[in-house]
Amino acid sequence: MRPAPPGRVERGPDRRFAADAAAHRRDVPRHCPQCGAPPALATEFWEGSARRFYCWCSACGWTGEITPTGATAVGHEPEH
Amino acid sequence: MLTAEQNDELTQVDAGTPMGEVLRRYWYPVAFTRELAEFPVKRVELLGEFFALWRSPSGRYGIVPEACPHRKASMAYGVVEPDGLRCPYHGWVFDESGACIEQPAERDDTRFGARVSAKAGVAEELGGLVWAYVGPGPAPRLPRFDVYVMEGFRDIGWADLPCNYVQIMENAVDPHHVEWLHGRYFSFIGRHEGFTSPASFAKKHVKVGFTPFEWGIIKRRVLEGASEENDDWKVGHPLVFPYNMRVGGGGVHQMQIRVPVNRTTTRFMLYTVHRPDEGYEHVEQPMVPDYRIPVLDENGRHVVNYVEGQDIMAWVTQGAITDRTTEHLGRSDIGVAMLRKMFREQMDRVARGEDPIGTIREEHERIDLPCEKDKFHAGARFALDFCDMGSTRFSPMLDTIKKIHVSAAERVASGSAS
Repeated sequence: MRPAPPGRVERGPDRRFAADAAAHRRDVPRHCPQCGAPPALATEFWEGSARRFYCWCSACGWTGEITPTGATAVGHEPEH
Repeated sequence: MLTAEQNDELTQVDAGTPMGEVLRRYWYPVAFTRELAEFPVKRVELLGEFFALWRSPSGRYGIVPEACPHRKASMAYGVVEPDGLRCPYHGWVFDESGACIEQPAERDDTRFGARVSAKAGVAEELGGLVWAYVGPGPAPRLPRFDVYVMEGFRDIGWADLPCNYVQIMENAVDPHHVEWLHGRYFSFIGRHEGFTSPASFAKKHVKVGFTPFEWGIIKRRVLEGASEENDDWKVGHPLVFPYNMRVGGGGVHQMQIRVPVNRTTTRFMLYTVHRPDEGYEHVEQPMVPDYRIPVLDENGRHVVNYVEGQDIMAWVTQGAITDRTTEHLGRSDIGVAMLRKMFREQMDRVARGEDPIGTIREEHERIDLPCEKDKFHAGARFALDFCDMGSTRFSPMLDTIKKIHVSAAERVASGSAS
């Protein structure tokens, strides 16, 4: 392999967010909601305080978001 | 956020890895036509492998792995012959199909030659670039995207960047970065360096959207003061899977090319065609000029007073390979999640023996990609900002390019445009 072009940045593991990485490994969906196969890919993102997993199942083609909610079910009250 | 295993899989380029096998289903620009006109054989690195690329006296191109099958000397130091490339060490000759057609010191009544063919790729010239396909045969057609075949005045800016290509591609489905990196940050740098940054880049995003299509993903945006009827939303512009983005506006047509040279080196190229919609008078070019764009200054800091320099800073400073196990994506990054899904889908398609998205086997003249003309609803101003505030300002052709745009506008204003 040729030498890297100048400016290469080597970063070690970002230990500030080890807990988030561990939570991702713990909570990442293991089964497709449609067919039960393991999702081929699950990208986690945040929306406000909600963690969401954008998933794609290669077995059945299902694409969707899975959101862990915790024990409390939260409703909403639009203006009325 | 991904697991370490998924990040590893996503960013691989080597043969035998799922993503490396996907990447080997596409054609890549590996040289400027100019280079092989100046000297007819070149060492190239692509997808972590080295090759010898050559141009025969009759104008045909060939590409074989760099190491000679005989004693492993570099074929990139080879002698270009009318019917192939001759190893400089003992004179074996390989033709464009990789067949060994001469072994001067061996008896010619054996089948030894048939045992030592070089696994050749395919190489062709298009639009001032030499393109190579090094995957399994039969090779798909070289896609003749609009920018490579349209009439216009061309130049190619380029730089080799020390990072994985995927983080560069993720930028192509990240509309919001424009208003911050090329808006607020550009303005901040401008205040310190004494110039005014382009206002159109700082417009606020009201809405972003992403649509998969046959060549990749179309990125759409509605900016403050505009609506879904404006080009930025109605037309948008595409990420062309797996390593390009088509952009443009105001008579500028560009393909941003990000070639995975190896896992942590990406050849970034800005292939630009200047062709105002009205009032353009063609300027002949014997050869498409290329020029390096600056990455670092003399102190080793990124050059950030132009648009692409800002992008490069953001890509490279993420690290050689972005650690996606500790990133924190938001809803505004949903295009990034969609792109990762597209990468992963193609791994499955290739594993099943299918062609991945964005490959073409039919003969064709030209592939027109959707791309907004009225960029950032800035009108013709966009072309001048593009020249002054983007990589074009480093082009040896800058004066000619500006003249093309200004003259076309004058012809339109005087009513003499055809």
